[in-house]
Amino acid sequence: MSENFEPNVVAFLCNWCSYAGADLAGTSRIEYPSNLNVIRVMCSGRVNPMFVVNALQQGADGVLVSGCHPGDCHYMEGNFLARRRVALMRELLNFVGVDERRFNMSWVSASEGAKWRDVVKGVVDNLHEVGAFTEFPRKKIDW
Amino acid sequence: MPDFDKLRALAKETISRDDIKYLIGWRQGTYGYRTSPHFVRIPEDADQLIFSPLCSSNLATYLALAEKRPVPRGSQPDTRKVAILVKGCDSRAVVQQLVEQGIKREAVYVIGCPCEGVVDLRKLEEKYPHTLDRVGARWENGNVSLDLPSGNAVFPREEIVAGKCLTCRYPNPVIADVTLGENVEVSGSTAFEDINRFEVKSAQERWTFWRDKFNSCIRCYACRNVCPMCYCAECILDKQNPAWIQRSVNISENTAFQLARAFHLAGRCIECGECERVCPVEIPLSYLNRKLVKEVTEQFAFTPGVDPEAKPLLVGYRPNDKGDFIL
Amino acid sequence: MSSKPKIGVYICHCGINIAKTVDVEELTKYAVKLPNVRVASDYSYMCSEPGQLMIREDIRKNGLNRVVVASCSPRMHELTFRKALVEAGLNPYYLEIANIREHCSWVHKDKQEATAKAKKLLQAAVAKVRFLEPLQEKEVDVGAAALVIGGGIAGIQASLDIANAGFKIYLVEKTPSIGGRMSQLDKTFPTLDCSACILTPKMVDAASHPNITLLTYSQVESITGYVGNFQVKVRKKARYVDFNKCTGCGLCAEECLLADRVKSEFNMGIGNRSAIYLPFPQAVPAKYSIDPHSCLFLTRGKCGKAPKCVEACPAGAVDFEQKDEIVEFKTGTVIVATGFDVFDAARKPEYGYSDYDNVLTGLEMERLISSSGPTGGKLVLGKGDGEYVPKEIAFIKCVGSRDKSTGNEYCSRVCCMYTAKLAHLVKDKLPEANVRIYYMDVRAFGKGFEEFYDRVRREGVRYIRGNPSEIFKRNGKLVIMVEDTLTGKPLEDEVDMVVLGVGLEPRRDAREVIDLLRLSQSSDRFFLEAHPKLAPVDTAIEGVYLAGCAQGPKDIPDTVAQAKGAASSALVLLSSGKVKVQAQISWVNEPNCRGCGYCVEICPYTAIELVLVNLMGHQVNVARVNGVLCKGCGACVAGCLSGSVQQKSFMDSQILPQIAALGGKL
Ligand SMILES: Cc1cc2nc3c(=O)[nH]c(=O)nc-3n(C[C@H](O)[C@H](O)[C@H](O)COP(=O)(O)OP(=O)(O)OC[C@H]3O[C@@H](n4cnc5c(N)ncnc54)[C@H](O)[C@@H]3O)c2cc1C
Ligand code: SF4
Ligand code: SF4
Ligand code: SF4
Repeated sequence: MSENFEPNVVAFLCNWCSYAGADLAGTSRIEYPSNLNVIRVMCSGRVNPMFVVNALQQGADGVLVSGCHPGDCHYMEGNFLARRRVALMRELLNFVGVDERRFNMSWVSASEGAKWRDVVKGVVDNLHEVGAFTEFPRKKIDW
Repeated sequence: MPDFDKLRALAKETISRDDIKYLIGWRQGTYGYRTSPHFVRIPEDADQLIFSPLCSSNLATYLALAEKRPVPRGSQPDTRKVAILVKGCDSRAVVQQLVEQGIKREAVYVIGCPCEGVVDLRKLEEKYPHTLDRVGARWENGNVSLDLPSGNAVFPREEIVAGKCLTCRYPNPVIADVTLGENVEVSGSTAFEDINRFEVKSAQERWTFWRDKFNSCIRCYACRNVCPMCYCAECILDKQNPAWIQRSVNISENTAFQLARAFHLAGRCIECGECERVCPVEIPLSYLNRKLVKEVTEQFAFTPGVDPEAKPLLVGYRPNDKGDFIL
Repeated sequence: MSSKPKIGVYICHCGINIAKTVDVEELTKYAVKLPNVRVASDYSYMCSEPGQLMIREDIRKNGLNRVVVASCSPRMHELTFRKALVEAGLNPYYLEIANIREHCSWVHKDKQEATAKAKKLLQAAVAKVRFLEPLQEKEVDVGAAALVIGGGIAGIQASLDIANAGFKIYLVEKTPSIGGRMSQLDKTFPTLDCSACILTPKMVDAASHPNITLLTYSQVESITGYVGNFQVKVRKKARYVDFNKCTGCGLCAEECLLADRVKSEFNMGIGNRSAIYLPFPQAVPAKYSIDPHSCLFLTRGKCGKAPKCVEACPAGAVDFEQKDEIVEFKTGTVIVATGFDVFDAARKPEYGYSDYDNVLTGLEMERLISSSGPTGGKLVLGKGDGEYVPKEIAFIKCVGSRDKSTGNEYCSRVCCMYTAKLAHLVKDKLPEANVRIYYMDVRAFGKGFEEFYDRVRREGVRYIRGNPSEIFKRNGKLVIMVEDTLTGKPLEDEVDMVVLGVGLEPRRDAREVIDLLRLSQSSDRFFLEAHPKLAPVDTAIEGVYLAGCAQGPKDIPDTVAQAKGAASSALVLLSSGKVKVQAQISWVNEPNCRGCGYCVEICPYTAIELVLVNLMGHQVNVARVNGVLCKGCGACVAGCLSGSVQQKSFMDSQILPQIAALGGKL
């Protein structure tokens, strides 16, 4: 793959933990790669696994879903529901030959600004290795 | 194996009951090895009923999908039961529909037919192409015996039945108001050797395999339409606002469609193999489904369509569900 | 979509916080070219009054109907900008914020990179804002009354607080008297107040409070509705004694054929009562009831020639014709204060509780040692001629707590202290007795606890570290097999009496309450709070609160504190009389719903139910969201296969364009 490939990552963050953790990384001026863009949802439980397939179709090279640590979900169980859904969709994607590093999930709390950086770096670094998503992107993206 | 006399007698008795609307079973098709669904509304209709190794279709599809015609003002809806013949796998569809409240228990009368496996018509087609005369079939000491135009032929089960039957764990109906014949021996297992073999291939190889398959999909949606678990009023695949999947037929939309279809069956697929059977371009759809069956079995120790009181898989969780992939 | 989107985009410099790393001018130029964008401006501080004015004027002048602000995190100023929209006459939910500070300018150094990312974030906000819909913030009325289930100290305290604030209380207690476990205690650690002395006045207050309706010997049959509007049905069990006529004189109990022959629950079976009884002398209300399970007349239809109690009662209060009565009322909130059960010591057979009379539980010891108890406070064992005063007395702590084999991994929080208390009381009554306590750890965490523990040790109570493995009888004595884990020496300790420091467990009938309210349990099986730290008295069900040991083991001070917390939470709703309903909640597109009930199961707040609707003459199930209960997490949306349930402001049709905008090239 080309030397200057920069992966494009779409991330779904829950409002209460992960989004707040990413905010904290900001207030603490913790630097990290700029390849990842965030969509805020109220809870990781809102993330339909088909969002991930859709993101890959629509130009993402990788996806991240991030929620509260187990037991910390603002809505008690949303992250647990998300974990099951993600586990199955990851397996399915992997089965049809989509590298599983394209689909990531993390627990990041509101106090883990540094962890947020590590997660973003980790995901982006991995995607540098995996390369651009060429399996089934849409030709034309409309919004 | 039930002989047809018994089956037909039972069907006559059933359809004569006041609380039965109609009975769904199988009859011989118009040509070759084909069988068709058969709706018995009056006792005489029962004379055409059969149950043989050629009765592969899963009739449970007709339960949840039954059209609800407008009830004329002033009259009451017909709430009589629908009687249905089910093989083992079909019965799981009934149970899963009960779990998902697609049907009500009091609205069905289940006639269980323990099953030794159904013939894979593609295998038969290969051996005897273009057979137009009607062909009868029966199970005989663990083999399948066919009355072909050229005479009787007997095949060992392994050679002729559908792949799903070789791994089937529930040949005996898991729900039935009455059962025809004796329960058969269970031979299937949860080894998932086929899936495991595929999983060890490289991602590249896996994608190449599926890319070719998905590329050939013509998006006829026969697989969805035949699936007993697919009975949404409007499937998200048909929705245009929002359009999850665009209508164009290309690798991107085809793959997204296939992933959506498979994922929507996670923890719901009861392995009747109907999708694969009806696919005109022979995409090994049950392979995709079985991958998820494997995960659902191994990760969550869950089997859909066996317990009408069970909660669906994806409405719950266990605090200690596997999460080793989480960063 | 209600009207064609006309979007205003506002890009904040945040002083130099954004402008230093993001080229705001270029961003503004980029914004104007995005679809449906009418105006785009940048300004030093969008959140300042002039910044907001700019938005308000543009809305009026240019007829904008959507606003995107690219600024700091929505967690900072979303409300500020929503207000600005409202002031300009626009629905506040026509706003989307692109977080280009916390998620961009503050975490990236390279200006080009940061600007490119800001463009994407802005583009996604524009993509989404076009599909946003106006939302209404609603309120519902809260009925000015509360239901309190359980009349232990927790329920009593919560009731008193709410009643004192001027609201009506229905206090429902299962047994014939309020008071709960605390009424069974002799003295209370660490101050050694007599339990009855501090509890009885509160019980009397509760009974006589004009705002409190006391429903004792009663059970909640059903609760329907939701926050603000609970409909409650309570069954008042027949007492077979006319509540108004009974003066509490007790003549009936003296004459009862079964007098002193029925095991007293209050005395933990150590003492006896009659079939017609008052659970304990200070019981509130001081009204007798007939126990239908032992009364001869009620069980066999015949008691002597004629029931003695009927003859004995000077007030003519005994009434065998009495029937259960159903009471119905409405309340705005519910407090669950149903308390606990003590661990059943028979589940640790190695301690011989079922085999030996001189192995007691802590609660039995409370009764035995209480001056109002069956022995009048004399510490004696055995009966009649066999009566004896124990000399060697051992306590064992953590029985049924911190013990995986019993399924209870948690610490019961009171056993360390109540064993110390009981040991002290023993020394007080029998200074000659040798008292030792077998322990794993001593957790004296509360106010005055360590000091009390210290005092008890100075009084001569020996603490031996070890977890006894077995108790058996030898030569009429109990032998405790234990290894002293400090010295590593195995011991065989011969004693006259063993007191098991049994732990606190969820009530065995907890299921009744769970089914009433669809409460959840935590892994220890106590009722689950909404958040272990920040919402410890709330539950997942809005308007339903927890108090006391129903939520987990607690001593009395903590129970009272939590009860007051629950009361104050209930009062927030009761005193405002209104509860705000979230705007960004879910709703169901009914014609598309397949009635599978997935969402019903998924919703952690029981906000969705299946209802029957008429579809062209057929009765079909569809899901319906209760807008008052929905908290807007969206978990149901992701679980719905047909996409029929959608969350406002986070609809699939709003998120998919966002994904496309982030995925697509600039
Ligand atoms: C042996 C022992 C000694 C203790 N000593 C001390 C001490 O010295 N100092 C101290 O601070 N703490 C002590 N405690 C702890 C103390 O008992 C508790 O903190 C306190 O009783 C908790 O009160 P509660 O109201 O939460 O529960 P409870 O006292 O259990 O009261 C619950 C009430 O609810 C009623 N109820 C239950 N279910 C229903 C229903 N479905 N409908 C209607 N009513 C229902 C019950 O009948 C009961 O009256 C001791 C505990 C034990 C076991
Ligand atoms: S039946 Fe086959 S061709 Fe038709 S949509 Fe399904 S997979 Fe595609
Ligand atoms: S999950 Fe969807 S289809 Fe099922 S009941 Fe809820 S809204 Fe209806
Ligand atoms: S959004 Fe969350 S709280 Fe609201 S109904 Fe759906 S699952 Fe329940």
